[in-house]
Amino acid sequence: MNGVRNWIQERIPVSGVELAEVTNEPVPNHLRRWWFCLGGTPAYLFVVQIVTGILLAVYYQPSPETAYESVRRITEEVNYGWYIRSVHKWAATLMIASVILHQMRVYFTGAYRRPREINWMIGMCLLLCTLLIGFTGYSLVFEQLSYWGATVAANICDMIPFVGRLAKQLLLAGDEYNENTVPRFYILHAAILPATMILLLVVHIALIRMHGVSELKFEDETDDGPGHYDFFPDHFYTELIIGLVLMILLSVLATVFPAIMGPRADPLTTPEVIKPEWFFYATFRWLKLFSGTFAVLSMGFIVFVMFTWPFIDTLLRRVTRIEEISVWIGIVGVFLLVALTTWEALVPH
Amino acid sequence: MPDEAQDAHTDLSAAENADRTGRRRVLGRFASFLMVSGLAAGYGMFAALIGRFLYPNRDFSGVWQFVTDLGGFPVGQSLLFRSPRGQQVVISRLKDDGNAGDFVALSSICPHLGCQVHWESQNDRFFCPCHNGAFDAAGQPLSGPPKDDNQPLPQFPLKVENNLLFIQAGTDRLA
Repeated sequence: MNGVRNWIQERIPVSGVELAEVTNEPVPNHLRRWWFCLGGTPAYLFVVQIVTGILLAVYYQPSPETAYESVRRITEEVNYGWYIRSVHKWAATLMIASVILHQMRVYFTGAYRRPREINWMIGMCLLLCTLLIGFTGYSLVFEQLSYWGATVAANICDMIPFVGRLAKQLLLAGDEYNENTVPRFYILHAAILPATMILLLVVHIALIRMHGVSELKFEDETDDGPGHYDFFPDHFYTELIIGLVLMILLSVLATVFPAIMGPRADPLTTPEVIKPEWFFYATFRWLKLFSGTFAVLSMGFIVFVMFTWPFIDTLLRRVTRIEEISVWIGIVGVFLLVALTTWEALVPH
Repeated sequence: MPDEAQDAHTDLSAAENADRTGRRRVLGRFASFLMVSGLAAGYGMFAALIGRFLYPNRDFSGVWQFVTDLGGFPVGQSLLFRSPRGQQVVISRLKDDGNAGDFVALSSICPHLGCQVHWESQNDRFFCPCHNGAFDAAGQPLSGPPKDDNQPLPQFPLKVENNLLFIQAGTDRLA
């Protein structure tokens, strides 16, 4: 046994002690509370997406002639295809939900403040990538929603000043949806966006590790006793349990509410009632409320404000001298998001 | 030999030595500049090629298709043209000048974000189900985002040649 260990040690010269030191991040006590697991949840779900995504790619055929039929085959004929596809769909839903909740947690606890501004911006990039990967995902099915969603999104791009037209043409592979559009969405969904997200995740986690998790003290906590506990095995076990719970939840959701097939894309008819996936309800309603140019430019402005929020927050606090100003603005923002989403969910038009 | 070389080197005056070092530094910088420019040019060219490769070079403007003889299309009449793609286009004749300006061929593509509008006979309007845009029978915006931006329904390009009416529309069908 020692011989094997020495053999490996000689070729990979890292000792267990060194490895433990590097990986054993001191975890602040507040992470014992379960609702602080919202950063690890999307990371876990991302792994689920990679695994189920690779499996779906075995049967999926990215072209307008074959896409819909291949997804129908996965759903109705391939062994356990319905399960893999449904888990992929539900994991996407939960991933987006947990990313949004994670961002809210970071926002309302002020964890984006100095020196963590850059990591907030990387988190924003991850949020946008997650939304884009969700969007390009449902565009691949070649259902009515896929086709019209892609058309609307490309025309939104078109409204961006200066680069809009080029962005639309590059996205659609032309001025309108054509036979080269689905492959482009597929490459974005299955190669470019996941690769970008892996890179961003590595930097995101490395920065968390370098800065340490921002610490919070709750009123019921006493000052005596250690402020941290070990990542391994204490926190690792927590993550393991979360992983197990998520897998059970995904399986239940996939079984009770499996992914189904919508009507096939018809470029000549937009359905009487059409809505994107729930995570775009707020933007969809926004587009109905205002003129196209204003809606697109204002959405761009909101994203820009979110990106630079750590710096805007510092400025606002200095000017207004209200320490919790970000909380009040955040409450208004969340209220607007929930209100627009609910509004869109409740009415057909 | 090495000793001699070293002697020769140490024999150089301080001024000459500094001159040589300076020259070497300039040459070094020049070499670095060449290296960086070469890399930038090489990778820049590669990036430009990728850009050209990704940029679609297909023409999406459609082809000119024959519709009808002007003689059999009096003012005030409409006809239904069905393109090879399956689009149904209502072409109306409003004037009798004998040129393309006599006709209107409304497209059913919403100018807001590209969804298909449909005619609602009970409301006497075209309606876009995506973002609630509405247009009157002549394609003028009535409400919704197209009204805010004053965007009427687009029209198909038409032309008249030798007393024959042509329309420019797409021919290829998507799956």
